[in-house]
Amino acid sequence: MKKLLMFLMMALVAGLLVVGCSSSKEETSSNGDQDKTTPATEEEVVLQLWIHQTNEKETQFYLDRAAEFNEAHKGKIRVDVAPPIIDEGSSYNDAINAALVAGNLPDLIKLDGPFVASYAASEVIMPVGQYYTDEELADYVDSILEQGSYNGELYSLGAMESSVMLYYNKAIFAEAGIEAPTSVEDAWTWDEFFAVAKQLTTNDRYGLNLFMNYGVGEWMTYMGLPFVWSNGGDLLSPDGTTAEGYFNGPETVEALEFIKQLFAEGVVSISPSEMQFEEGNAAMALGGPWIALSTQDAGLDYGMMPYPRSKVAKSPSGSMAYAVTSQTKHPEEAAKFMLWMTDKESTIRLSEVTGMPPARKSAFAEMAEYETQPKKIMKDQVINSAQARPQTPAYPVLTQLFAEAFQAAALGEDVQKTLDNFVPRIERELSRFNK
Amino acid sequence: MIKNLKRTLSTQKWREGLSGYLFFLPALILLSLFLLYPMAMAFYYSFTDFYLLTPQKKGFIGLENFTYAFSDNEFRTAFKNTVYFVVLVVPLQTAVGLGLALLVNKKLRFTIFYRTAYFSPVVMSLVVVSILWTFLYNPNEGFFNQVLESLGFAKQPFLTSPNQAMNSIIAMSVWQGAGFQMLIFLAGLQTIPGVLYEAASIDGANAWQKFKNVTLPGLKNVSIFIIITITIAAFKLLIQPMIMTQGGPLGSTRSLVYYTYQVGFAYRDVGYASALAVLFTVIVLIISLTQRKLLTEDRG
Repeated sequence: MKKLLMFLMMALVAGLLVVGCSSSKEETSSNGDQDKTTPATEEEVVLQLWIHQTNEKETQFYLDRAAEFNEAHKGKIRVDVAPPIIDEGSSYNDAINAALVAGNLPDLIKLDGPFVASYAASEVIMPVGQYYTDEELADYVDSILEQGSYNGELYSLGAMESSVMLYYNKAIFAEAGIEAPTSVEDAWTWDEFFAVAKQLTTNDRYGLNLFMNYGVGEWMTYMGLPFVWSNGGDLLSPDGTTAEGYFNGPETVEALEFIKQLFAEGVVSISPSEMQFEEGNAAMALGGPWIALSTQDAGLDYGMMPYPRSKVAKSPSGSMAYAVTSQTKHPEEAAKFMLWMTDKESTIRLSEVTGMPPARKSAFAEMAEYETQPKKIMKDQVINSAQARPQTPAYPVLTQLFAEAFQAAALGEDVQKTLDNFVPRIERELSRFNK
Repeated sequence: MIKNLKRTLSTQKWREGLSGYLFFLPALILLSLFLLYPMAMAFYYSFTDFYLLTPQKKGFIGLENFTYAFSDNEFRTAFKNTVYFVVLVVPLQTAVGLGLALLVNKKLRFTIFYRTAYFSPVVMSLVVVSILWTFLYNPNEGFFNQVLESLGFAKQPFLTSPNQAMNSIIAMSVWQGAGFQMLIFLAGLQTIPGVLYEAASIDGANAWQKFKNVTLPGLKNVSIFIIITITIAAFKLLIQPMIMTQGGPLGSTRSLVYYTYQVGFAYRDVGYASALAVLFTVIVLIISLTQRKLLTEDRG
């Protein structure tokens, strides 16, 4: 009997240990919460914002700008910015998903433009159009409103835009006597573009760099989709219900055949070195605004040209944006904060920190560097040829499969067959939302 | 008298049994919480259309996820890739592990240094190793291509070619894991009594005959353990393709587990991902059981 008692005691202790561990965890977490939110004064609305980790300067800007908002709305609204979540892999999205399942999303989140639709369709974020006047929204560049809308309703606003320009090495161009176009209107056609790239390809130099070293992911869709749009194609039908005849339609096939040709002719490398363009080993490069910074750092004299076109001029667009989650109790205040974070001053300051183009027309008007080359091209594209990526809740699947098709074309695979193979997968995904 | 004895025996048995279960209890709680419960949930989710963003709206869809899996090209490729990986890695890693064990078992100088050197990749995080090997495999400035070039061979695309990517990952995986098998083989080698070798020498056996007739039979149980554990571990291939190739090029390195991860977290299709996980468990279970049947252990 004694022994049995002892065993029972031991089991009890073991059980307590388990319970003890879990309860001590709860305590620390509740302490943590208290630290974050000091007791709110009466009637003050407290909002929580989650941001993802970017570079230090950019993160600091978000913190500073939110602090200024709190100062300006003292006693009425206060926004607490949670410590930025490191966005290695997909931990930021994982954190949002976990909070979603647990039902404790913050009031405001930052999210990448093309994900607006899926969050909107799943009612994770809420429409905010009613909180803004038409005049307030008129100043945003069209592509930002396009990216932030789903089913005709506005869900998200962003402070920065992005684009992809055709960079060129000035020394190589001068030597070959090639004149670079200076506006979207004069953008090279595919044929002109191909001819120059071919001409400038030598034994120890590529004519073009497409940064295939970024891997099979969002970059390939971001950079590659304008070839499809420019050719009059798209990935989904205009109403977004089917991919058949669009994802594998003749315009898309033609666009990817053009990509295939670039690689087949040895104009582009499937595995470029990290600094291929910056080191002068490629005459041209289709790169984001950040390439301007790294090229400058490398001391290379570069210029920018508009994205080459087929039938219509198109260029990539979109970046991180803000959205109000449907779990908030104070949508109006949250919308107010979103407007603040994307107002003229915010967009100008963010653009200065990141080198990305601002999302407002009035900001462009005040930033002198966008009036001269090379940045003039960036502005020209953002205002005149930018198109947001497809606003479909099936975007996560769509982008992965398009990126894979792009890579398959680069590797010389049969374009039509590759695209046909992917269509059923997209249709399956769409059927979830077409119900 | 006898009755009494029986009763004491049975209460004693009962007590021992109970104490066993009590000792097992803490482990059981943890296992249920972190293993059995998630497995049961995955099994349940595999019959639903659970979408990650709408957890409250999941509906029961019967076997649809499973029927789709059999028509899913990506799943088929992932299965083929995984089997290819397992079929090559298991014998290679076993052979390399055994070879290394035989080497470091010799009474040479610096044995301890070699043992440590061969074992060190096992201690390193697979993520770190994968990143390092991505640098080594870099088609432009990578170490391997520089060596090839200086020896007068053509540069190889390695991870950027659909034909070489999986083999490159296999080579790296064999190198990374062989140290662990070496350690276990080494322990096995040291249990083989020295008298057997002496006897073999007296009978006039040469080195190869000793290896074939003394070492290998002596390592039988260890080998079975190693082959089964490598097989299961190899089926779980995930980190290498995730870090080194993202499953590409052309899906040539997408493994079953990586595809499941992608479906669940990138495509947010938790229902289908759960179905894939269930299928994966069944596949590995069947293979492990078959192996166990084929490779019967000597219980001495």
